[in-house]
Amino acid sequence: MVSQLNVRRTILIVEDEPINRKMLENIVKDSYDVIFATDGLKTIDVIRENSDVISLILLDLMMPDMDGYEVLEFMHNDKILKQIPVIVCTTERESEVRCFKLGAVDFISKPFSHPMVIRARIDRAIELREGRGLIHATQNDALTGLLTHDFFMEYSHFRDMHYATPGMDAIVFNVNRFHLINELQGRRAGDDVLIKIGDSIKHIARDRGGISGRGGADEFLLYIPSGSDYDELLKEIGRGLEDILNNSRVYLRMGIYRNVNTDISVEHRFDKARVACNSIRGNYNIQSAIYDEDMHDKEALNERLINDMARGIKERQFTVYYQPKYAIQGDRDSLYGAEALVRWEHPELGLLRPDKFVPLFEDNGLIHQLDHYVWDEVSKQVGEWMVNYDLKIPVSVNVSRVDIGAPNLEEEIFTTVQNNWISPGMLNLEITESAYTENSDQIINVVKSLRERGFAIEMDDFGTGYSSLNMITSLPIDILKLDMQFVKNIHEGNKDMKMVELMIDIARSLKVKVVAEGVETKEQYDLLKAAGCDVIQGFYFSMPCVPKEFEKLIEKENGELQREVEEALQ
Amino acid sequence: MLSIDILNEFGADTKEGLARCLDDEEFYLDLIPEALERGRYEELKKLLDENNIPAAFEAAHALKGVLGNLALTPIYEPASEMTELLRAGKEMDYTELIDKVIAERDRLSEMIG
Repeated sequence: MVSQLNVRRTILIVEDEPINRKMLENIVKDSYDVIFATDGLKTIDVIRENSDVISLILLDLMMPDMDGYEVLEFMHNDKILKQIPVIVCTTERESEVRCFKLGAVDFISKPFSHPMVIRARIDRAIELREGRGLIHATQNDALTGLLTHDFFMEYSHFRDMHYATPGMDAIVFNVNRFHLINELQGRRAGDDVLIKIGDSIKHIARDRGGISGRGGADEFLLYIPSGSDYDELLKEIGRGLEDILNNSRVYLRMGIYRNVNTDISVEHRFDKARVACNSIRGNYNIQSAIYDEDMHDKEALNERLINDMARGIKERQFTVYYQPKYAIQGDRDSLYGAEALVRWEHPELGLLRPDKFVPLFEDNGLIHQLDHYVWDEVSKQVGEWMVNYDLKIPVSVNVSRVDIGAPNLEEEIFTTVQNNWISPGMLNLEITESAYTENSDQIINVVKSLRERGFAIEMDDFGTGYSSLNMITSLPIDILKLDMQFVKNIHEGNKDMKMVELMIDIARSLKVKVVAEGVETKEQYDLLKAAGCDVIQGFYFSMPCVPKEFEKLIEKENGELQREVEEALQ
Repeated sequence: MLSIDILNEFGADTKEGLARCLDDEEFYLDLIPEALERGRYEELKKLLDENNIPAAFEAAHALKGVLGNLALTPIYEPASEMTELLRAGKEMDYTELIDKVIAERDRLSEMIG
């Protein structure tokens, strides 16, 4: 390493005898810069002042006014100075043990050994120390001191090889909506929680003869012999954090893959624990889950879907369905647009609805490819309809939070519509409300630049994402979409209806349109219409349709328009 | 005139001394006069006369180190013997040993001229 990194390191030579000093300098000067100290007290000053540049100290044990031991002792008791390797120059064999105890890394005898030997020892000592520093830096997470992901997996693997403990548990912990701690209480509070959890799982691992690690942002890993009481474990980790972690949004989740199958890789064992952990996401009443057969089947299915996706896109197995939207505040309900919904006609598994694969692809980032495919398909279709029917039908497409992070998203979508000869105004972009709360600065910038390109932005699932009113008013959006869970239960004067009215009021004061989705009954339609909702989609009007079916609706709309024109002319 | 030949004739192990100086003759020869500086030997003799064993040990130990590094064997050997006795804290008459050290120092000094 010393030779690999092309920097000149500095060695401090502590030696009161000028001749010895010159000889040592002569020996090392080709490879190192040298600074000197000639007596004990000065040495301390020089070390303190140059601690950041000194790679190694050659220390003479016998000096006036403070001997080498005292220098060693002083350094040994200082957290930073302790890191600098010291080679002691001495004639006395018996002093070696004492020096080692005080942290010396090696010895050079007097009279000096061959210069090559001295050089080699210096090089080694520096290499060893820097290598160890490097290993520590990559092996341990800086915040919690826990093993980082890869090292955790490696050590768990070693543990299996060296201790044949029958029955191990792979456990994944994370904090549901951890980002809320950072957002509401500051980054520092978030760090404190992570440190606290880190300490607890270190302790648990030590107690039970296992290994602990940090998997990622707010994910922690434990590999311990089976037999723990899982509720107790969860309690132990949450101890001292009750104030922060005991509410319906922010809480600890634990997924357990019990009695692991050692034939699969350590990573895979923790994938299973993670599947269990994610299966209870957003469910405050259940805080731990054990990996079981159902999860196994689901995991196997997911794996298959992930593997099949690329081919699915290539072979055009994904088809876009169009859910019609109607404007309901005019003299008659008129076809206003559509929402694009993707289905997967899987050659072996049959027709798959988006809830089977969209959340999965969102988790692993594959969704971007699929979204892009849909943007392109829809743009092509919209262009075709404009030409064939001379009617502008804007279609909403999904932009998932994964897409927001893609470099040059606005350029990508803009190019897509341009290639299909339609204007950006014909493609409405739906972004779920919770994406805004999770990464507000980034998303606001992206959304702003998309709007500048001419795209209309719809906030999807409005009412489910915990946006503050303050935030809503400052967001660059054009349309609010009421989540269907609100619409589902509305009745005259009930709580859900009041919520809907409130949200419509908010939209009105923001001067944005409101779209309600999931409208199925005449009652819902009437209530929403009376409340001032602008646009409606749902079974009340139509199921999502394939393009051929949708074209019939366009033709019908065109017929209505034609009749209106004729009536006006009569 | 100071040279490797003269040092060899004196009995120094110049091969070893030179090796420590990366076989740089000039560098090696430059260090010799400093090691022979008379004041240093007289200081040691004075400390021994005063029977100040700890101080004498330190001075002898330092001198021994230098002589050893330069491989000036005829001076190094009595200096080394003396250092070990001093390290043990032995109270004795060091006159003979220090005189031997100084005599060897003077011999080399004269050879160099």
